Amino acid sequence: MTERSKPANPSAKGQTKRNKTAAKTVRAYHEEEALGRAYDTKLLRRVWPFVRPHSKFIVVSLGLLLLLAATQLVRPLLMGRVVEHAGKGEASALLRDGVLLALFVVGGQLLTFLQTYIMQVAGARAMADLRAEVFAFFQRLSLRYFDKTPVGRLVTRATGDVDALGELFASGVLNAVGDLVGLVGIVAMMLTLHAKLSLIAFAALPFVGLVVNFVRRRSRDAFREIRTKTARLNAFLNEQVAGVAVVQAYAREEKMQAEFDAINDAYREANKRSIFYEAVLDAAIEMVSTVCIASVLFWAGFSRAGDPTITFPLVVTFTQYIRQFFEPVSLLAQRYTILQSAMSGAERIFGLLDEEDVESSVAPTDGPSEVAADAPAIELDHVTFGYKPGVPVLNDVSLRIAKGEKVALVGATGAGKSTVAGLALRLYEVEDGTVRVMGRDVAEQDRVTMRESFSVVPQDVFLFAGTVLSNVAISDETPNRARVEESLRRIGALELFERRQGGLDAKVDERGANFSGGERQLIAFARALYRDTPIVILDEATASIDSNTERKMQTALEAVMAGRTSLVIAHRLSTIRAVDRIIVFHKGHIVESGSHDELIVKNGVYARLHKLQFAREHAAQVAKGTPSVPVPAA
Amino acid sequence: MPAVVATSASRSGARYPRTLRGQLVGKLPQYLAGTLMLAVFQLSMNRIDWLSKASVDRIFGRAADFPWSLSVSIFAFAVVALVTRVASRWFIFNAGRDVEYELRSALLEHLHSLGAAFYRKMSAGEIMSRSSGDLLQVRLLYGFGILNLINVVFAFASALQVMVTISGKLTLVSLTMLPLIVLLGRAVSGQLYTRTKANQETLGRLSEAVQNNLAGVRVVRSFALERRERLRFQKANLAYLEASLGLARLRGLMGPSIGAAASVGLLAFFWYGSTLLLQGGLSQGSFFAFWLAFGRMTWPMIAVGFSIAIVQRGRAGFARLEEIFKELPEVVSGTHEPPANPEGALSVRGLSFAYVDGGREVLSDVSFELPAGRSLAVMGRTGSGKSTLAMLLARLLPTPRGKVLVDGDDLCDLPLSYVRESVGYAQQDAFLFSTTVTENIGFCLAETETDEACDKVYAAAKEAQVHEEALALPEKYDTVVGERGVQLSGGQKQRIALARAFARSPRILVLDDPLSAVDAKTEEAILDTISRHATKCTLVLITHRIAAAQRCDDVLVLDEGRILEHGTPAELLANGSLYAAFAEEQSAERELLDLELGGPPPPASASGGAS
Repeated sequence: MTERSKPANPSAKGQTKRNKTAAKTVRAYHEEEALGRAYDTKLLRRVWPFVRPHSKFIVVSLGLLLLLAATQLVRPLLMGRVVEHAGKGEASALLRDGVLLALFVVGGQLLTFLQTYIMQVAGARAMADLRAEVFAFFQRLSLRYFDKTPVGRLVTRATGDVDALGELFASGVLNAVGDLVGLVGIVAMMLTLHAKLSLIAFAALPFVGLVVNFVRRRSRDAFREIRTKTARLNAFLNEQVAGVAVVQAYAREEKMQAEFDAINDAYREANKRSIFYEAVLDAAIEMVSTVCIASVLFWAGFSRAGDPTITFPLVVTFTQYIRQFFEPVSLLAQRYTILQSAMSGAERIFGLLDEEDVESSVAPTDGPSEVAADAPAIELDHVTFGYKPGVPVLNDVSLRIAKGEKVALVGATGAGKSTVAGLALRLYEVEDGTVRVMGRDVAEQDRVTMRESFSVVPQDVFLFAGTVLSNVAISDETPNRARVEESLRRIGALELFERRQGGLDAKVDERGANFSGGERQLIAFARALYRDTPIVILDEATASIDSNTERKMQTALEAVMAGRTSLVIAHRLSTIRAVDRIIVFHKGHIVESGSHDELIVKNGVYARLHKLQFAREHAAQVAKGTPSVPVPAA
Repeated sequence: MPAVVATSASRSGARYPRTLRGQLVGKLPQYLAGTLMLAVFQLSMNRIDWLSKASVDRIFGRAADFPWSLSVSIFAFAVVALVTRVASRWFIFNAGRDVEYELRSALLEHLHSLGAAFYRKMSAGEIMSRSSGDLLQVRLLYGFGILNLINVVFAFASALQVMVTISGKLTLVSLTMLPLIVLLGRAVSGQLYTRTKANQETLGRLSEAVQNNLAGVRVVRSFALERRERLRFQKANLAYLEASLGLARLRGLMGPSIGAAASVGLLAFFWYGSTLLLQGGLSQGSFFAFWLAFGRMTWPMIAVGFSIAIVQRGRAGFARLEEIFKELPEVVSGTHEPPANPEGALSVRGLSFAYVDGGREVLSDVSFELPAGRSLAVMGRTGSGKSTLAMLLARLLPTPRGKVLVDGDDLCDLPLSYVRESVGYAQQDAFLFSTTVTENIGFCLAETETDEACDKVYAAAKEAQVHEEALALPEKYDTVVGERGVQLSGGQKQRIALARAFARSPRILVLDDPLSAVDAKTEEAILDTISRHATKCTLVLITHRIAAAQRCDDVLVLDEGRILEHGTPAELLANGSLYAAFAEEQSAERELLDLELGGPPPPASASGGAS
């Protein structure tokens, strides 16, 4: 949070202390993305397996880097020679060395390109592999983990964090190796050419060391602050946009503006500091480079009389060496921060990959164990389960659904009906008991293969961005148009979708935002028909649907259930009447089971439920002219 | 609309100019100072070139002595160059940052003043992209762009003075590549921008693929779509790989191509310069100084092209920001004096409302009187206009003139600050800020750290039945909640939001179905407090629960925007058709919930995806 003013009341001391820690919590919470260490061998070792397959690129790139460093060492020499030839009047040698110099300059540029590009190829490919690994890991993470982690944060692991790590290759941080070689080479060359002059030239170097050291830490701190404040600014603005109605309703515009301005100001000030340090670093290096050249000139002027080895070509060569020397030095601070953010990205990625809440892998099956021909399609055998430990949703539940049987699960919200479906699909693992599908324990089956015998029509239908066609044929690479049409026709919805602009090729926005709830339901029914599996699970929507759609739904439902084992989580009378058997859930237990008529005769919970449903239908009729049926959670 | 200016003038964001020219004029002193610094900087560089020439000529010429003064002067000018160079960046880049600061501040100020109509038109993602991407371009224009445009002029003047004085011909030869470099710089910069954008788009598609996969994880697993999802991801991953390598190629080639063009110039200089040196037309000092001056021109040559592109993009970015700034607030403050003794009587007379002019009416001709201190329940199905009514009463939508009166005054005539203070509002989808529980509940309080404020927060939390649960959170009241925080249940969020409304103790309280995710027992307790509240304030309670409506003095049933039934709960139970039907239905449901069948009690709020 922002700076807090001191409390007016001196007796509020304890209170203030509490709030200081509170402010700290909020800050820590928002600035979780602070930078870590710049170098961590453990992390680097974990990155290596992704880089190794592309290491030949890195080897080539590093080889080119050394070659490049060598050519760069030769360049000043050539320049000196050109000048020397000119001074001596050797026209042909001048021409030869001039052309050579040209080749070196342009060749050096090309080498630079090749070297950095090859490095980026290695990096980008390694990062693509890492991204694929993170994505594959997502597919194994347990659903429980998704229940408690915001999707946005997970997406960042596969995108932003991987990119931060990839910057290591893209920005040429690894080229620092080559820079180092270059620096040593330059010093060596200069010393060889003229030791005394070199020492004079580098007399100003300690000054650069001082400046770099002064700037580096401060500049890094400023950068860190900029990073956290950028994230905070964006999050704050995003929140203000999302909650603008609340801000307006509580007339908190000014207070929010003040908080925002404080972050905005801290961001600006950090940036200004960073501007200052960067400018100082650049200018200091520029100045030292000038001073170095001046020192060379000074020494040359001072001692030329007694030292014939100091010539104009040597001065030219030295000047060029000095210039080249300072180029990589100016990049040091920047490279250090890139290294840091790459490491913190890696830390978050591998932190995720270390998550242990993953779906257990398939137990080795001892071949298809004999399954009785009359084994039930779905069986729960003394199953206990809860989403949170200690809060069981199902308590010692046993039920059997025979092949071809149509069963409805009925009960109040939270009674555990949908949970039965989730367990049959093995979306969650049971705490106790056994779930069998087609007579075999789900824990012993391959998840994907097992789930291929199910079609699910969920309560809240999720559509993928694409077309109506691709959404109906969800499980096919290339949709079979004829079968999609047939599926839609059988649920009586073909005409409805063909009427829409674009027909079956009409665009579906992300999450199907441009389709109504009813239309999404119909697509889900068509999905189930298209998939044509032996078992269907239908979780009816509770949302109000007008009676016109309701009639369509009924047709669709019956079409989907025909000839299949069906498990319906029912909210409507009409649905319940269409099944063979009704199982009534209450607070995690099965309280009744039987056909509609049997249960009515029994006059138990179902009979009461039926009465409730009747009241609702009655209410719908009473509200004349308005066909919609409000169903506030059965 | 002068009223807007009147109310928002006190806010910092409103002070800042919101036009390209306004910002430029505002930062003029900084730009002038920066310009002066650049001029001095380039002048010292020019002096250094000449001093170097003199030094070299002295060293390798006939003169036997070498005066100290030359080296000392170079050193002195180098220090001046250092200081002025830093200062020029300090002035001009900081001006760019100031522009960024001011525009960002003004942006939030303006966003706060805009209503629902604007937010329907522009998505949050679009607003965020403008506030980051476009603002960045604008900042680059005001900092980097302006600095380089000014610097180029001085750099050229300073370098050309040395070069032309030494040899006009040599200058011409060396600068043959200048137009090419400028063009290249501009082309590369343009390409770089479009490629970067395209790269961002492929990254966007990649995120979308991951996002879709994760958001739809239940469908993916239930339908065993892992293979298909993997293929989709691979496609996006590959496209991103290609795009980033494409960008890398462009970036990589930028150096060599500009570098090659620049080196051709350099080579031309070396070649022709050496020839002149050979022929004796050029002294060694002149050659050396020319070389230094020419080297100083390379970057400004490239920068010309870059700066032009930056100016263009900055202007385009500014235009997109201006689109937001040009939006007019729907709800503007009234100018009448607020009443001295407000009571909180509400009267609605013939209120009709459509979200789009001439569009479907969401509310038609709604009228009712609610004396101060009384309570009114509003019921109706989804889409009957309940929530719209609530927002109109709180003036969160453009309430039509003369239709809603508070203590006899038209809501639209009253100052907005007064309206906000006297009408409290809480909505069904509780929006919490990502800060502590205390800060969320005490949202309306100026201070949350005094004992007094703390008492208020606790009291409100107790009234909303969330005190115990707040204490059970990891950091108690200091736990950060909201968007990314601890996973509060929907019911807990609603109750914190309710406590936020209670903490405010407004004269009129408008609650839009604030208990939809709260279980029956807790609801009971909260309703008790609400009815106690009702003795203190006027209450409009939008609800779908009969039990809640039953406690109000009056009930209003809306259907398709019209009043279907209006009367006391008892009257409606006897005569009202829809209300009576709701009542019958809910009593049956309650009975079912109350059945005791020996099982353990269900979890407090229907736990995560249970059914």
